[in-house]
Amino acid sequence: MKDFDYLEPASIAEASEMMLAHPGGSVMAGGTALMLALRQRMVTPSHVISLRRIRDLRGITHTPAEGLRIGALALHAEVARSPLVRQHAPMLADMASRLANPQVRNQGTIGGNLCYGDPATDPPSCLLALNADVVLRSARGTRVLKVDQFATDYFATALEPGEIVSEIRIPPSAFDAGYHARFLRTAAEHRPLVNFAVSLRKQGDACEDVRMVIGASTRVPTRLRKAEDWMKGKTVTARLAAEVADLGASEIEPISDIRGDGSFRRDMARTACRRTIEDLFNPAGSAATSAA
Amino acid sequence: MNKPEISNAFTTVGRETPQINAIEKVLGKAVYSADMKMAGMLHAKVLRSPHAHARIVGVHTEEARALPGVHAVLTGDDTPTRMTGIHHKQHRILAAGKVRFIGEEVVAVVAEDEETARDAIDLIRVDYEPLPEVFDTGEALRAGTIEVHDGSGNLACEYNVVRGDVDAAFAQAALVHEDSYETHSQYAGYMEPMATLAWRTSDGRLHILTSTQTAFLQRMRIADAVEMPVSKVRVIQATVGGGFGGKTAEECNSLICAWLATRVDRPVKFVNSRLDDFQGCRSSPPEKIWIKMGVDKDGIIIAKEVKIVADCGAYEGLAGHVLQVSTVRSDNMHRYLKNVRLNGKLAYTNNPPHGALRGFGGPQAAFALNSHIAVMAEKLGLDVVEMLKRNAIKSGDTSVHGFQIGSSGLSECLDQVSDGIGWDSKKTRPKDIGVKRRGIGFGTAIHVSGNREMGNWDGSTVIAKMAPDGRVTLMTGECDMGQGAFTMLAQCCAHELNIPLSQVTVLPTDTDMSPYGHGSIASRVTILAGNAAIKAAREVRERLLTLASEKLGVPKEDLDMANGEVFAKSPAPNQKIPFGDLARLHIYRAGGEALQVTATYDPPTFLAMATPEQYGNVAPGYSFAAQAAEVEVDTETGQVRVLETFVSDDCGKALNPLAVHGQTCGAAVMGIGWALYEQMRYEDGRLLNGNFADYTMPTADSVPYIQSGIVESMEPNGPYGAKGASETAIVPGAAAIANAVYDAIGVRIKTLPITPEKILAGLRAKQAAQDASGASR
Ligand SMILES: Cc1cc2nc3c(=O)[nH]c(=O)nc-3n(C[C@H](O)[C@H](O)[C@H](O)COP(=O)(O)OP(=O)(O)OC[C@H]3O[C@@H](n4cnc5c(N)ncnc54)[C@H](O)[C@@H]3O)c2cc1C
Repeated sequence: MKDFDYLEPASIAEASEMMLAHPGGSVMAGGTALMLALRQRMVTPSHVISLRRIRDLRGITHTPAEGLRIGALALHAEVARSPLVRQHAPMLADMASRLANPQVRNQGTIGGNLCYGDPATDPPSCLLALNADVVLRSARGTRVLKVDQFATDYFATALEPGEIVSEIRIPPSAFDAGYHARFLRTAAEHRPLVNFAVSLRKQGDACEDVRMVIGASTRVPTRLRKAEDWMKGKTVTARLAAEVADLGASEIEPISDIRGDGSFRRDMARTACRRTIEDLFNPAGSAATSAA
Repeated sequence: MNKPEISNAFTTVGRETPQINAIEKVLGKAVYSADMKMAGMLHAKVLRSPHAHARIVGVHTEEARALPGVHAVLTGDDTPTRMTGIHHKQHRILAAGKVRFIGEEVVAVVAEDEETARDAIDLIRVDYEPLPEVFDTGEALRAGTIEVHDGSGNLACEYNVVRGDVDAAFAQAALVHEDSYETHSQYAGYMEPMATLAWRTSDGRLHILTSTQTAFLQRMRIADAVEMPVSKVRVIQATVGGGFGGKTAEECNSLICAWLATRVDRPVKFVNSRLDDFQGCRSSPPEKIWIKMGVDKDGIIIAKEVKIVADCGAYEGLAGHVLQVSTVRSDNMHRYLKNVRLNGKLAYTNNPPHGALRGFGGPQAAFALNSHIAVMAEKLGLDVVEMLKRNAIKSGDTSVHGFQIGSSGLSECLDQVSDGIGWDSKKTRPKDIGVKRRGIGFGTAIHVSGNREMGNWDGSTVIAKMAPDGRVTLMTGECDMGQGAFTMLAQCCAHELNIPLSQVTVLPTDTDMSPYGHGSIASRVTILAGNAAIKAAREVRERLLTLASEKLGVPKEDLDMANGEVFAKSPAPNQKIPFGDLARLHIYRAGGEALQVTATYDPPTFLAMATPEQYGNVAPGYSFAAQAAEVEVDTETGQVRVLETFVSDDCGKALNPLAVHGQTCGAAVMGIGWALYEQMRYEDGRLLNGNFADYTMPTADSVPYIQSGIVESMEPNGPYGAKGASETAIVPGAAAIANAVYDAIGVRIKTLPITPEKILAGLRAKQAAQDASGASR
């Protein structure tokens, strides 16, 4: 990698000023994504501005009124282990415990994950299903965005010059179940081909309310609004699960690349969606239990 | 040399023995080429061709040269005009005039540090005039098409072998079946990318420390390419972080670095990035294989016709040899097969060049053959294991191509694997009918242990030296690339001298000092160097006993040795003398010399490769393997999970069962990777996934617990009965998995790799066929 100056601001304000003073600089959190880019010279920053000394970016807290607050520097492994996350957003902790591999989980941060904007990742869809807020701060002030406002395109985010992500907030919700399904093309893959995240409120066999998101196969995580509307208020049968999955799969615009072409991705999104709903409701006659 | 002639207290032969160089590796103390630093050392980087086929019109290096810290910017025109290559000398050290594949090395930069070299690379501009390209072998062999090498017709080489009366045999056959298969190329995927450090000394000699399996072949090839006498070129083997065939004499990192060191006055280091390594490597040749096979009513294979077209890529390298193996070797597994007609063609294309990789053409042929046999067994209503056993070659047989099978445990491998995986019960259980369906399949393999090729010599030489403290140092021209060659040599020597393993040191190859050796290829080192080590150690033993007899005044017959001492068994049992004393005595006497022995073993084999008939006994021993895999196929996602696999390796006497186990499991994993996970993805000759995030080698998560067994068929030519064990187990896996997939879902995948997309397409086609036949009824 090319030479650069290394800076360690102690506060968000200082970091923001450094970023504005060095427009050719890069912010670094865990470095798992940035270091690869530096070594391949995909980016050649004049300065690397490390966030590691900024205490305000750390910690995981919870208040009944505001919900969970996860500092941007929280490692995937910390999210996975946190008793607070496990209690208040179990699907997020579960997702974080399965993401990537132990090395990446122990070094990569949730903030870095969002800020890189790589579609082939897991937290964005999960956080969108949890209706999370992304908090952006700079010397100029604070902005709060939803995940689908924050992630704007393939490797692109709403971050403006001098802005950093300070934390993620997960507001209290009336949902009582959920799951994040991480689907790999083969067992030897490192990245998800597609993922499906769902948060819902159950009433016996019925689904009262639901948020569903497809990620990793779309440029940005995509809410499945038609599928949500179709599912709300209905008793979940194997047939409904299949209908919801069909609708959901039709709502996405899948990307095509060497990991998988669009039609295969759509098929797998449909399967992941249907299987996840079936697993959550266990309706009679679902493919998992029946002799197809 | 069949049986251990002395059984003694210190032997490790046949016992689980950790590698003698394992500790330094796990402590991070092993010195790899990239670790070495020399005073004044410079760093090299290369600019690679972005075109698959283009004329080089102009190379603009002024800006790069002007960059501070840059010492040299060299192009193809600066390289010797002499061509380099294996059989066909086809390219210069850097491309001159034209490029033939994407990734071909065009310009080299030498600079103070690697980053400066990279900066300079970015400043170079090359003007190309693109030429029409050819990527498909079928197209390449069409008359009048674009030629990769002028006048070649794109035919790099061709084999035609006919034995017996094939047509008559087909006419007699109870069942004849023909089909086509395709295999893809595999990257060696060693942990250590290629790295080299080269320097010249004031006497004008060129020294090259590099990661290599074949130090002497490297010396020969580099000396030839840089136009220096071999005696002026020295190749030193650094610790090698895996080779798998990829570090023979085909890769160009070492060659370019060596040449650069002749052009600047300071040492030059060239370390491949992983992308460099992917682009500059020689992956295994993809093959299109057509088989027609005839069997009698009992499933005995009586006739076989095979046509193979292999993709050589831009330069031949070792791909011709690989094709030879794919064409003929697998026939030798079948004892009643006498009628064959084989044709193998190797086509040049503008794909990156292909070459040696573990298994060396065996996996390609075995995939097609074992798939084919499974189909025929089903048609005959025969259990495939039974059919394989009926055909299995036996010790004492001479095969259709003249292989004299001194030992074969193929049948025993089949039995061991069947029992180990529970073949009978799994085969007969009711078929799964749900979304996830299990199936089981089999594959078999033959491999050589040694292969007479170069210079009609397939020998190996070991020098054994005893230091004045009684310890032994062995020198060899063969290489340890992690497979355990040095441990094996130390075991043989320690066994013969009845000393602890720790008393033996094996030195890595240094062509200035080591005896000549072809190197670690063709699974040859155990059988050849092992025999040489035994021979050398026995001579040392003889000399020690002779001297001790003189010194102690005891007849030789009454002496024996243990733990570094020669002692008298009778009449005075307490008389003894340490090896160190004897070693000193060997020197310090009138006319004395240090105790040093050179021993060579050249096996009684035949250079069949050099004859058009390709007939004869090429190797002193043949290894066999069988593997079964049980898979679960998800019919909605197309994913294949290997639930269980059992692989048995007939490697003769397992000198070190721990090492054999490691090699067998590693090879089996590599086979699984080739079958299911790995794929070099090209788009018009451009590799799209030259990194380990996108070229997905098997991970611990993606393979089952590998069960392995050893069959010790005891090879008469082998050291204590041993044969090679490093390659055989990569051969049968892909077929075992493909057969298991078929058993699970009734879809036969004939084109590797077995991807989810292909499984789903196969299921859809099967469904469509069923619907159509249902509708027509
Ligand atoms: C082998 C491998 C496998 C992986 N597999 C998965 C997977 O299965 N699922 C998955 O979801 N992810 C996966 N990842 C991605 C991984 O989760 C991310 O690399 C990681 O979370 C990034 O966090 P980081 O702290 O290391 O970011 P860094 O590398 O430090 O930064 C990444 C980018 O974000 C910017 N940035 C970082 N923090 C901030 C901030 N607070 N404010 C503003 N900008 C910031 C940086 O400037 C940089 O551009 C994988 C990565 C690897 C290497």
